[in-house]
Amino acid sequence: MSEKPLKTDEQLIADFQNGNENAFVELVDRYKDRLVNFVYRFLHDMTDAEDMVQETFFKVYKNKHAYREIAKFSTWIYTIAGNLARSELRKRKRRKTYTMSDLSFDDNEFTPVDTGKDTEGIVFNSYAGEEIMKAIYALPEPFKTIIILRDIQELSYEDISTILDIPMGTVKSRVNRARLKLQETLSYLKE
Amino acid sequence: MQNTDCTFICEQFTEYHENSLSSEIRAQVDTHLASCPACTEIFHKLAEVIDTLHNLPTLKASTDFTSTLLSRIETLKQETVWQKIYQSSYTRVAGYAIAAGLIVAIGINIMIDPISPMKSGLQSNFAGEQVNPNQSDESLVEVSDSSANQPADSLTLQNPTINSQSQSMQLVSGKK
Ligand SMILES: [Zn+2]
Repeated sequence: MSEKPLKTDEQLIADFQNGNENAFVELVDRYKDRLVNFVYRFLHDMTDAEDMVQETFFKVYKNKHAYREIAKFSTWIYTIAGNLARSELRKRKRRKTYTMSDLSFDDNEFTPVDTGKDTEGIVFNSYAGEEIMKAIYALPEPFKTIIILRDIQELSYEDISTILDIPMGTVKSRVNRARLKLQETLSYLKE
Repeated sequence: MQNTDCTFICEQFTEYHENSLSSEIRAQVDTHLASCPACTEIFHKLAEVIDTLHNLPTLKASTDFTSTLLSRIETLKQETVWQKIYQSSYTRVAGYAIAAGLIVAIGINIMIDPISPMKSGLQSNFAGEQVNPNQSDESLVEVSDSSANQPADSLTLQNPTINSQSQSMQLVSGKK
């Protein structure tokens, strides 16, 4: 079986810049789930998360020539999606001050979804998934973003450093502080 | 955390967990944990948190996600075509209007003062007017969404690469 090797994201965006719209669709297919999963962790609303990701791809479509090959496509699109998510979050905060008890989560959030990665037998240990999501939502910036990028999206320190435009050492220390903060919040929630 | 030693140890937890500490610091953490129940408890909880985070179910986009997006894009394309048509007829009409205005102005000028020093000034003005309508067509498509270039102050998650790229995008689209 000799399949054609998959094109890299960077090759696809280059193809798209040269007018190949199928390359754009391929990028959408590659990134839509990852980005929905990413943005959802900020917004906790599936409809809003999908809207934001739609907007992200829409921006990519309209501004395709803004991408330069000096950056990885993934860090570029994560930056756009992250900016949109956080801007939406700020808008919400201006409208309403959320309290922990206000937070309601989608029913399907903690139901295993077909992911190809961690589908079967998800067993949460003593920290229930819902508690951890509430704790993340309650985390102040910059800890929230860094936890989502590192521990949920599982991006490399290098990529996070590019997306947030901070040195790698700062990324590492913030990840550590964010995790400690999260663990502290969870202990507090459990009391 | 009881003392500065504990603070230092806790700062190492992420790299300790990832096994990326130098052997020297790793040994230091090991020694500390062996004698400090408080830090040991924090470390165990932290490992648990990391584990839970890594095992959260991954969400998926809805099945009609791509088709919805593509139909939005189709609408955008159609709007752009109409805007272009509108724009080009608009600039043509505007061009005629300016030309007509100039003829009238020059006529009046000549009637008032046949040897007018304003004449050259009017010509250069006219030349300036001609450039703008030609550029507007192109920038309409490429940079119609200014919010793509806004990460700077309103959005803290920022990337100078994106900013500089956006700027060069504007340059490119203006040039074409
Ligand atoms: Zn200690």
